[in-house]
Amino acid sequence: MDFKLTEEQEFFRKTIRDTVNKMIIPKAKDIDEKDEFPWDLWREFSKLGYLGLRYPEEIGGMNADKVMCMIFYEEITRGSVGFAQSVIMNILMGTYFIYRFGNDAIKERCLYPAMRGEKIATICFTEDQSGSDLGSTRTRAVKDGDGWRINGTKMWITNGPICDFCTVLATVDPSLGLKGLNFFLVEKGTPGFSSGQIIRKLGCRGTVTGELIFDNVWVPDENFLGEELGKGVQYVGEILDEVRLMTGAMALGLARAAYEEGLEFARKRIAFGQPIGNFQLIREKFAEMDTLMNAAKLMVYYGAWLLENRMDARTIAAEAKMFATEVCLKVVDEVTRIYGANAFAYEYNPQRYFRDARFLLYGGGTHEVLKDFIGRSIIGKL
Amino acid sequence: MKILVFVKQVLDSEAKINIQDDKKSLDFEERFSLNFFDEFAIEEAIRVKEKVKNCEVVAVSLGSRKAQEVLRTSIAMGVDRAVLIETEKYNIWDPYFTAKVLSGFAEKEGFNLIFCGERAMDDENGVVGVLIAENLKIPYVGSVVKIEVMDTNKVVVDSEIDGSFFGYEVELPALFSLRKGINEPRVPAITGVMKAMRAQIAFVDPYSLLSIPLTQKTEIVRFEFPGKRPAVKIIEGQSPEEKVKKLISLLKQEAKVI
Repeated sequence: MDFKLTEEQEFFRKTIRDTVNKMIIPKAKDIDEKDEFPWDLWREFSKLGYLGLRYPEEIGGMNADKVMCMIFYEEITRGSVGFAQSVIMNILMGTYFIYRFGNDAIKERCLYPAMRGEKIATICFTEDQSGSDLGSTRTRAVKDGDGWRINGTKMWITNGPICDFCTVLATVDPSLGLKGLNFFLVEKGTPGFSSGQIIRKLGCRGTVTGELIFDNVWVPDENFLGEELGKGVQYVGEILDEVRLMTGAMALGLARAAYEEGLEFARKRIAFGQPIGNFQLIREKFAEMDTLMNAAKLMVYYGAWLLENRMDARTIAAEAKMFATEVCLKVVDEVTRIYGANAFAYEYNPQRYFRDARFLLYGGGTHEVLKDFIGRSIIGKL
Repeated sequence: MKILVFVKQVLDSEAKINIQDDKKSLDFEERFSLNFFDEFAIEEAIRVKEKVKNCEVVAVSLGSRKAQEVLRTSIAMGVDRAVLIETEKYNIWDPYFTAKVLSGFAEKEGFNLIFCGERAMDDENGVVGVLIAENLKIPYVGSVVKIEVMDTNKVVVDSEIDGSFFGYEVELPALFSLRKGINEPRVPAITGVMKAMRAQIAFVDPYSLLSIPLTQKTEIVRFEFPGKRPAVKIIEGQSPEEKVKKLISLLKQEAKVI
């Protein structure tokens, strides 16, 4: 077994780590406090070209392998979870179906500018009555002439209120349940398309999350993103494992940000005449955190390796997302304890890590849903 | 025009370092980075290249195989190619020896300009640059904060020493060591990162660059950690005047610096 990153992957990690240290970390506290989309940072960062990370070089991407993608997701989240969410939305979910099914004109209009950071992308799954339960999607698309008429409201849309285009999940026939689901492209400026309420969040601040309203929105046939009707859920499956592993990688990054800060504090903070890192109960916390983080890392990167080698990663991706996120929650909690009362002050970062970690629980599937999926995939249909 | 940039991989400033029992060697965490000052040298070379036609920038490092990382970073930032003078099987620390090897490389490779950082963050010697210039018998200016290339034969530079600026017109070829503030090193774009990941780095044996047999001139006698800083003393007083009087008294009698 070979667990070593290649020289290229090592170099990539070091480069993106340095970039995050220079460009994002100095602004992370400010992003959280202002809770506004950091346009300057977005423009500065997108100039570097990372938004094309997973797409082919022929169209201006980097063609990064899945392990490198995880390295990127982990490192950028170490810098700022809020900013990472917006960036990753453009890199992965917000553009995938455009890349996969969009015609040349759509790619010119949406995909390539999104890869350059000139346009902001998003994807719309969640509604007020459906999240993990996609079969309950109520947003409706009805055939109308040479196109589709879309009606519905989407909630919890990352980048939603500032997006230039979105990939919308809608049903063409609610009686078909999951088999009625399909994806459609809707661009800013289309009559009837607007943003609604912006959600004020506990964490992941700086990324703008909110409601998108589709009120009799008409889009041409070319905006139907798929080969044939009814395969929307199947298409979700193409990136679901990557999305889950990505969330796990984000959890690793956030956990490491908190852990490194906790470690520095434990080495420097003096109590009873010595650094608190000398006390066994503090050491125990690091022993536990390090063990858990190493285990989570192995799961996430093993999943990425499976994906890269086109092997079945469904169960491990769900397990890795769940485990890494739970580890992250444990680590951010322990770091607040190591920091003592200082962790309760906005002046220090642990409270931000503590708040941000909560959001990772829900993206990529709640753990209640994931546990059921994992259990079913192990036991099988009885 | 050809510019050589000498870069060094150093221990990361946050790496844990312990002195081994023999006091002559170190035990350290494997965390390395590009020497802070060398980033300015790379950036400046790339800026010259962007202004001057037919300019090639070559990054050169003397170090272990691991030092390829800093060369790849140089390529990611924009240098054209990189050479590692590989010391994996040797233990080279001596600045005199290092300067001889790098001078040998420069002679063999040919150049118009050489840039290096003003010192390395690990040994803080700051002498390799000037030694190379001496070996090559070319002009040298240290602590450079501004460079303007007039043509392939002449540059104008500003050097900052103790807050004073000195301007020089220098005939090429020449070597300059660069100081923080001369520029803002760029963050590599993904196209550079991809180029760097795939770049073939040339390896050269250090001894192949020496014209005569040479041994290192310095010996490491022992390592010591710097002494612990004494606790901070807060000067109390009812008024600023009283505090200043107490401070002057302490500086005279206790610190004995005035």
